Amino acid sequence: MDALVSQLETPRSQQELYNSEEEQEQLALSLSPSLKFALPPIAQSQAWLRAMTDDYSNPNCPIKIAHGTTTLAFRFQGGIIVCTDSRATAGNWIASQTVKKVIEINSSLLGTMAGGAADCQYWLAYLGMQCRLHELRSKRRITVAAASKILANLVYSYKGMGLSMGTMCAGVTPQEGPALYYIDSDGTRLAGNLFCVGSGQTFAYGVLDAEYRYDLTDEEALELGRRSILAAMHRDAYSGGFINLYHVKESGWVKHGFNDMNPIFWKTKLGKGEFSNVTADLN
Amino acid sequence: MSSPFSINGGAAVAMVGKDCVAIACDLRLGLQSLTVSNNYPKIFPYGDVYLGLTGLATDISTVSDLLRYKVNMYRLREERAISPQTLANLVSSSLYERRFGPYFVSPVIAGLNHKDGKPFICGFDSIGCIDFAKDFIVSGTASDQLFGMCEGLWEPDLGPDELFETISQALLSAVDRDALSGWGAHVYIIEKDKVTKRLLKGRQD
Amino acid sequence: MGGFDFSNHSRNAALHAQGFPLPTATSTGTTIVGCLFDGGVVIAADTRATSGPIVADKNCEKLHFITPQIWCAGAGTAADTEFTTSLISSNLELHSLSTGRQPRVVTCMTMLKQHLFRYQGHIGAYLVVAGCDPTGAHLFTVHAHGSTDKLPYVTMGSGSLAAMSVFETAWKGNMTRQGAVDLCSEAIKAGIFNDLGSGSNVDVCIITPEKATLLRNHITPNEREKKMRDYRFKKGTTAVLNQKIITRADISKYVTVHELDDGTPVAAEKMDVDT
Repeated sequence: MDALVSQLETPRSQQELYNSEEEQEQLALSLSPSLKFALPPIAQSQAWLRAMTDDYSNPNCPIKIAHGTTTLAFRFQGGIIVCTDSRATAGNWIASQTVKKVIEINSSLLGTMAGGAADCQYWLAYLGMQCRLHELRSKRRITVAAASKILANLVYSYKGMGLSMGTMCAGVTPQEGPALYYIDSDGTRLAGNLFCVGSGQTFAYGVLDAEYRYDLTDEEALELGRRSILAAMHRDAYSGGFINLYHVKESGWVKHGFNDMNPIFWKTKLGKGEFSNVTADLN
Repeated sequence: MSSPFSINGGAAVAMVGKDCVAIACDLRLGLQSLTVSNNYPKIFPYGDVYLGLTGLATDISTVSDLLRYKVNMYRLREERAISPQTLANLVSSSLYERRFGPYFVSPVIAGLNHKDGKPFICGFDSIGCIDFAKDFIVSGTASDQLFGMCEGLWEPDLGPDELFETISQALLSAVDRDALSGWGAHVYIIEKDKVTKRLLKGRQD
Repeated sequence: MGGFDFSNHSRNAALHAQGFPLPTATSTGTTIVGCLFDGGVVIAADTRATSGPIVADKNCEKLHFITPQIWCAGAGTAADTEFTTSLISSNLELHSLSTGRQPRVVTCMTMLKQHLFRYQGHIGAYLVVAGCDPTGAHLFTVHAHGSTDKLPYVTMGSGSLAAMSVFETAWKGNMTRQGAVDLCSEAIKAGIFNDLGSGSNVDVCIITPEKATLLRNHITPNEREKKMRDYRFKKGTTAVLNQKIITRADISKYVTVHELDDGTPVAAEKMDVDT
């Protein structure tokens, strides 16, 4: 009883106070969930997960993971443009048209989401946490290179266990300037000027590669991002919904709207004469 | 591996109204996720009877051409236009003939009976089982969504204009929740002395 | 003409070998029953047709005409029950025309079982055959593989267990006509309410040596409540890009109907070659 009372008498603030650096490390580790996932109690858990969730090899798989996306990001003189669609599909079923596929890691770092929605959301949130801890420990902003490497190392440690993500990290830091990295669940980590990720990536690349220059003005760059996603939404069945547009600058990222693609499509078609494959002909 | 019924995507629906019938389809032709065409109608006229076909695109064109041949032969032999009921039986037996090697199609028929002008709609499975319905028939990759929309929106004795709005809204809402259908739609309103064909403005994603 | 066409079979088998699933045919996940009574026989069925988990038809007909005095209730693949019964119906009529006798229920049952056995169960028709002929009232079941049974009361389909439980509790010998109709209806209702593959209404057919009576929708225990309000859209709700009116005159460009006995010579009609 005495022991219990003395324990309860200790103020909460003191209980939760971590003094030594070692204890802080301990806290960081205990928050890190990397090794605490429950695995199904069978011999080949990876193969089992694949059989349960991979609707490509088994269309009747019982667990359908939301797939299908178009995301893009490119570097230009004025910073980085990040643009995504907003559709989530489970098989052919459109589960949502209003998914936020750009994840705001902090005020100057953005991540994009493609592949398993839960995987991306969880691990990018985790990345945000690690970035904040880095900031507190070293008293300066984490570089995009370092942040992307935390994520790459993390997903690599789960390689082959069924994580599905294709993500981009975009940010502007004093050390690097505008920096853009591509990370996927295979463990790939690439730095580059221009990336498109997801089932509609080829359509987006088609428009983006044709019109891309490094010395694009801010307005031109925003329009190019929007137009590339629009093309992908039109031709890719698993992309669509709203156009989510961001501009990352030295001062941090600026959001340029979350707009329904349909009015933008008809405006682009009727105003500029593009998408001439869509007609009002009735023979 | 996806089913042959959902490689190309597509949706069709037929509805009964007061002294009129409606049939509608989307316009997408795809190859899995890639949209190849956004002008691929799936409704075929046989005189004043209309047939909607969804499923595998190669079988849609084979079956529609085969039936055009059979309906033309019927017309020559009988010296009269085919009635919706007769076309239904023709479609049914043509599909059942291939019981053990079916065409991957889900047909829908809409028309007015020639003698009494009564509305007639029916649907089929891929081996020719006829579904005679008094209200509506759905088919295609958005059929689950269409079932839901039609159960909610359809009611008896809708006039031609009301029926047009009901079938259009049912189809547009259904295909907006199906990744493999959409990209515009065709709607036919069949009345005693005229047929109105309309092109709908649908979402292009 | 006639018979099956296997020309798509190898293509579809190759597709299936590559991992494409086979098409799901409409099946009558069904409750069908039959019961003999003093002076005749009753068969009954529910009216639900399913395609996987979807109710494809809420009020289909599962009682098939064979001859005026022989009727058949079908479960299994809907297209197979429909076409098998209509094939046997035609053959039985030809048979009765050539023999000059009233068709017998055993003949019908034998023709069905021989047809189904030939196809080794690939024709998925599960049938209850009932009727009256000069030898009396008869009740049979025929399975897809060709086996048959002759019993005083029978059930088939996914709801057969639910229906049989009713028969096993309430059946007695020497039933009256009304007693048999009521018992069969109760058995179908047990299927409708306890088997997910069965539903909607009860169809009944009573066959006596004098005549057959089809009671379509004899009991309708699942009427949908009328909608209190509606979702009618105002005219102009839907955005239309283009429209075209096809008049009957336009259609008759392709379809010309000539009265043959009006004395005028018939001109060759124009065919539509392509659209």
